[in-house]
Amino acid sequence: MRRNLKIRLNKSIFFIYFPLLLILGGCNQGGSIQPLNGLNGMLLTSSNSRKEPDLERNWLVTLSNSNGKEKIELINLRTRKAIPIPGVNRPDAQPLSVSISANGERMAIIRQRANQIELLLYRRRLGTLQQLELKRKGIPRKVSLDGKGRVLAVQVSRDGLWETDLFRLSN
Amino acid sequence: MSLASCSTSVKTAPSLGVFKQNQRDAALSGNGENLAIIVDQQGRATVQVQDLRQGKFLPTRHLNRYQAHGSPSLSWTGRYLAVIIQRNNRREVIIEDRTKGRLHRIQLPINRDPIRVSLSPDARQIAIQSSIQGKWRVEVFDLRQKIDADVVPGREALPSASQ
Repeated sequence: MRRNLKIRLNKSIFFIYFPLLLILGGCNQGGSIQPLNGLNGMLLTSSNSRKEPDLERNWLVTLSNSNGKEKIELINLRTRKAIPIPGVNRPDAQPLSVSISANGERMAIIRQRANQIELLLYRRRLGTLQQLELKRKGIPRKVSLDGKGRVLAVQVSRDGLWETDLFRLSN
Repeated sequence: MSLASCSTSVKTAPSLGVFKQNQRDAALSGNGENLAIIVDQQGRATVQVQDLRQGKFLPTRHLNRYQAHGSPSLSWTGRYLAVIIQRNNRREVIIEDRTKGRLHRIQLPINRDPIRVSLSPDARQIAIQSSIQGKWRVEVFDLRQKIDADVVPGREALPSASQ
């Protein structure tokens, strides 16, 4: 009798808790993640502060601040070194947002220069920086470039609201 | 709407559309086919994923119950969606596997207050901007022991580039 009760109790516990464990286990995968210590050490020591990361497989682009001056920095994740991006950073401009294509070839940039907010496309291999204009007036604030560098999403402020403009870029 | 340039070497590009709701933090998937955005709905910020080819919203199984703080980021195909949520007065990073319907909570080292996240296209790594003692800091974390990789086309499928 006592043994039957124990078995019944064990079954009850099993049928109540096992599905619960399954649900919790299936919906909420906990656990820690591993920091890339070598890279993170370099990111920490090479600037006073760093923000707006855009990560690709081999590239990381951020806005880094050194000596009070903010600049766009492109880092090769294989070598852990900053790559020269001539013409992108200017002493009279402050970058606000940056996004890079998967192969590191194209960068969409928003920057402020002389009270103007500029939307730009940088082609690294060609070394060209081209200003893009929204056809409908607005203030661009954030960019997102797809991996192929062909589709661009721009967060734009218009009449006090945020809108998103989407464009297909030419080759 | 089109995107014109001051330079004659940039061709006018056809517009894919304008989203007029009050929304922010637009993030494209690596293949450019999906868009994640934070939409303010009656004062509550929620994250939405849209299939740009078909114009329809894609389901997110877990994220509707969270207050989305911002900074969504999609992997190459859009299988993984990382976003910062607000929970119990704290900001946390979570990743939803939209294919398997699983939610992965990212446990950051202590004293990290996440501000922005960026998933690598293959979802092997995540870059997280945190506020640490009033300073912005970016750190990269390996996700390989946590989630499967997303499918990214080979190098030949992407425009070539050199260092």
